[in-house]
Amino acid sequence: MIGYIVRRILGLIIVILLASLITFILMHAIPGGPFDELKMPLPPEVKANILKKYGLDRPVWEQYIRYIWRALHGDLGVPFQSPTETVTSLIARVWPVTLQIGAITIALSFSIGILLGIISALRQNTWIDYLVTTIATLGTTVPNFVIAIWLILFFSVTLRWLPTGGWGEPKNLILPVISYFLAPTAVIARFVKVNFLEELRKDYVRTARAKGLPERVVIFKHVFKNVLIPVMTLLGPMIPDLATGSVFIEVTFRVPGLGRFFYTSALNRDYPMIIAMILLIAILWGITYLVTDIIYAYIDPRIVFS
Amino acid sequence: MSKKLIVVSVVVMVFLILTSAFSAPVTNSVGKVLPIDAAPPEYQVLRVMSGPATTLDWFISVYKRTNEANNYFGEPLVRLNKNFELVPAAAKSWGVSKDGLTWTFNLDKNIYWTDGTPLTAEDFVFSFQLGADPKHGWDFTWFYSPIKNWDKVVKGELPPSEIGVKQGKDPYTLVITTEYPAPYLPMMMLYSTPLSKKAYEKYGPYYNNDPKTSVSCGPYVLQEWTKDKQIVFKINTKYGGRLKPYLEKIIVTFGDPGTSAFKAYLAGEIDICGYSNGQIFTPADLEVIEKDPELSKQFHQGFGDFRTFYLGFDCYNPPFNNLNVRKALAYAIDKEAIVKTIIRKQGMIAYGFLMPGFPGANPEGLKDIITYNPDQARKLLAEAGYPDGKGFPSLDMWVRSDLASPTVVAAANAIGAMLKKNLGIDVKITVKESKTFMDALNSHKLPFYLVSYGMDYLDQSNMLGIWVSTGRHAWKNDRYDKLVTEASSLIDKKKRDEMFKEAEKILVEDVGGIFLWHQTPGVLWKPYVKGSDLTPDKYGITALHWPGIEGVGTTIFNIYISKDVLKYRK
Amino acid sequence: MRDIIRIYRKNKLAVFGFFVISIIVFLAIFADIISPYKYDEIDLANFLQGPSLSHPFGTDSIGRDLLTRIIYGARTSLIVGFSVQILAVLIGVPLGLFAGFYGGKVDYWISRLVEVMTAFPGLLFAIFLMTWLGNGLFNIIIALGITGWIGICRVTRAKTLEIKGEAFVEAAEALGVSNSYLLFKTILPNIIRPIIIMVGLGVPQAIFGEASLSFLGFGISDPLPSWGKMIGESLGYLQGYWYMGFFPTLSLAITVLCFNFVADGLRDALDPRMTSRRKG
Repeated sequence: MIGYIVRRILGLIIVILLASLITFILMHAIPGGPFDELKMPLPPEVKANILKKYGLDRPVWEQYIRYIWRALHGDLGVPFQSPTETVTSLIARVWPVTLQIGAITIALSFSIGILLGIISALRQNTWIDYLVTTIATLGTTVPNFVIAIWLILFFSVTLRWLPTGGWGEPKNLILPVISYFLAPTAVIARFVKVNFLEELRKDYVRTARAKGLPERVVIFKHVFKNVLIPVMTLLGPMIPDLATGSVFIEVTFRVPGLGRFFYTSALNRDYPMIIAMILLIAILWGITYLVTDIIYAYIDPRIVFS
Repeated sequence: MSKKLIVVSVVVMVFLILTSAFSAPVTNSVGKVLPIDAAPPEYQVLRVMSGPATTLDWFISVYKRTNEANNYFGEPLVRLNKNFELVPAAAKSWGVSKDGLTWTFNLDKNIYWTDGTPLTAEDFVFSFQLGADPKHGWDFTWFYSPIKNWDKVVKGELPPSEIGVKQGKDPYTLVITTEYPAPYLPMMMLYSTPLSKKAYEKYGPYYNNDPKTSVSCGPYVLQEWTKDKQIVFKINTKYGGRLKPYLEKIIVTFGDPGTSAFKAYLAGEIDICGYSNGQIFTPADLEVIEKDPELSKQFHQGFGDFRTFYLGFDCYNPPFNNLNVRKALAYAIDKEAIVKTIIRKQGMIAYGFLMPGFPGANPEGLKDIITYNPDQARKLLAEAGYPDGKGFPSLDMWVRSDLASPTVVAAANAIGAMLKKNLGIDVKITVKESKTFMDALNSHKLPFYLVSYGMDYLDQSNMLGIWVSTGRHAWKNDRYDKLVTEASSLIDKKKRDEMFKEAEKILVEDVGGIFLWHQTPGVLWKPYVKGSDLTPDKYGITALHWPGIEGVGTTIFNIYISKDVLKYRK
Repeated sequence: MRDIIRIYRKNKLAVFGFFVISIIVFLAIFADIISPYKYDEIDLANFLQGPSLSHPFGTDSIGRDLLTRIIYGARTSLIVGFSVQILAVLIGVPLGLFAGFYGGKVDYWISRLVEVMTAFPGLLFAIFLMTWLGNGLFNIIIALGITGWIGICRVTRAKTLEIKGEAFVEAAEALGVSNSYLLFKTILPNIIRPIIIMVGLGVPQAIFGEASLSFLGFGISDPLPSWGKMIGESLGYLQGYWYMGFFPTLSLAITVLCFNFVADGLRDALDPRMTSRRKG
């Protein structure tokens, strides 16, 4: 088991290196750079100087090696779009914002999703079931940026109850979270409902009922627990997903989070930021896969020794 | 004295005292008397929205500053008022030598940085040298070519100390020498907001990003810069300039104005919406504005930055290297229909590159050169060897993403459809991200595109100058090059106007580009935002004129918040 | 097979979903014949009109008929949806099969590849690719395909491992059956079912992906319509021209919904436990 974990961690390192390499190559393949020529072309000498200032005049492989060397020493460079701080401090400032939204979204979507799923299962084909299905549908069939704009138009512009965007106060969280949590809630609710119904058909439930146990005990003591485990498998991939945030939502609501910065970094060709964020995402996913695979390996050892 | 008289005197005196108490002049923190209808100083706060910014200083990076709310920390040599006239700022007066090559600016001795140092020619010399220094990698070097030795310094052939910006006979005299006579130089000096040499040498290029190290000799100082949230400017109580502002504070919220500003304005979160140089209102926004009587009154259109939208080509390669092909496309586009139905209030039809109102504009002389004539278009295309569009390659029209508002994209689509209908040419419309677009354009590798250009200073040499063959356009006309280059450095106004006129005619006749429409952007401001620059200009137009509330315009000095603000929740 | 259809038909929603999708496919194939106008036909005199007899869904900012554009949008969405899934299957299934079947080093490296790909958030990687490749339908399919094969690969691998461990496979191995026989005759047929379900769910995902890319401006070029692009365009016209956004959003929603119904129905119908239980 330990050997497996060690091999996987080594694998993670390889993954991170590969990801950084691919990113580097892609970034430099895309035209443009961290300079603006919106009106007139820059004289070649000036362009050369700007590139030199950012260390972009060296061949790509040399830049890559320098980057990895510095990164290993903890120096991720200076973001082009905010030269008065370091990439590390910028991400440290910006990531908690996304994490906040992500954490609340996960908490809400799981609690509400499970609740709605159970209600749907227990009250199949009643108006509650249909209501839940409709809300769930909205979450998965309408893109969240559309929902976001509807929400702004309704709650901010017309009713003036909530701000159109920005960050800093609790009320800034409301609309972004609502836009964000509808889709995961829908997925979880449906998943719970399907699993719940499946469990209800199983033998042990029939046995429990035959034994005369009250329905409530059957459901909450036995079925619920068995449904919870597969539902938790949904949690795994959701964490890195929500930890990195949604570009649409952050841009629409002017939330200074990781997703927004990914967008601005791509547009501004802020190479240090782009790479740093890709590495962050790679590490997050790598750890998630590692943890889930370890859990699976624990449950089914065959996977390890194949 | 009779009792009656005493009573009357007392009553009159009390009355006078009471009324004078009501009309006692209120002054703000810099000592300026507020207008009678102004709200008390604590309400003199203006709120706007801007895209993200890396710096506020002109000489650090032009493109990475905030939109419009910038250039407050330095005193430029001159400023622009609402009638597009230059007024003295850091320079009290200026003059030029007989040969037109040497300009002398006499600086105002009353202007000090907030750290106590006086603003002298040294700061200007330092700032310009920094701009020209290739190591600094400034993004606006192309603009100052007329200055002596500027281009050589930028190329690295001479050290920065060699540029034609030097101190004169005393610290308060600035002497600028040019390579050739440039009568528009004072106009160019609008862009001269200096950095503090002392602060730069002590704290580096970003000394204005932190209130602790920021110094200002302009009307405002930096009170707060919370990254990703807002910038707050506070009035500079020690400001020594001629004009003093009314506003105590300016709050800039960071966001994406294109998507958020209008909603924020409607929700009462910002006071001005829209830029003086470009519209950010979608057709739906305009619809909302038009239908709402209150909003309509708040919407004002102006010249903006005399921006012209046009189609461009790669004239060095087929199919556009054939003049008849370009002419055919020009005749096949119904500009009037596009302006009438799509652009509507936000623009006017363009016959040439210079917008009516810009010096030297000649719509009358140009409007009959190219007209909408599908038959003529088809004939020309056939003459060029593509009868009915047969054999003509399908086109991909690139539109630059930062200019691709819904209106512009709709216009692009309409043009594509017209070309298909009238000439049988297949046209695709692709919105291209700005840097990718400019990379292709500047390297003359872009076959077909829709783009715009807005002026940098009010002279034909600026607008017409960008069409010279060494510029961004893949078009060359030797006579045009000659005319524009020569006229730019002529002092004789009559002659140069004539030469520019002829040049623009060549541009239209040779179809260097197809000029579609001139933009007349609109800006919304709340009813409680007032100021003399917001009243009708000499053309009778009420607008937030370019450069808007930037520190190089006079608007920021006469804009104020009226008592009506109390009616709105601020 | 008959069992599968019978079980499927018991699920009313699934039947409904299949029916609607068939209509959409029909519309997409015969768009040229059915549409009242051409999708790039402008009519500047009749722009931004609301729904009327001559334009049941209204017109857009340059007078193009929205009903026509929705119909052609169906074609774009379906082409993207199916092509991306085909590409995803072509890449993901073989990789997953080999990883699960051969295990060891093969599995190790393929799993690392999967992790590398996951490091790039799907949409953002697609944006990178689109900036590099340029716009266009073909490029979108490539960009979304390259980012979309991961899920199918993981499921294939997991299922392969599961089946490999089953008794009948071990028996076949003991009998000395060749690897390719094992792969193609025993494992592959049992994987097809979950893959079909994943494809059923993946098509709406791909359609969503194209919608998002087009919304951001990295999608197909004008004048070719796609629902995503139409939704993006409509956001500038929300206040006052509701129909510009309503119909594409509704179309997208209905299509995604129906694909989900079909996938749900397939899941029940293809579930071996259901069929085996029928045998008593």
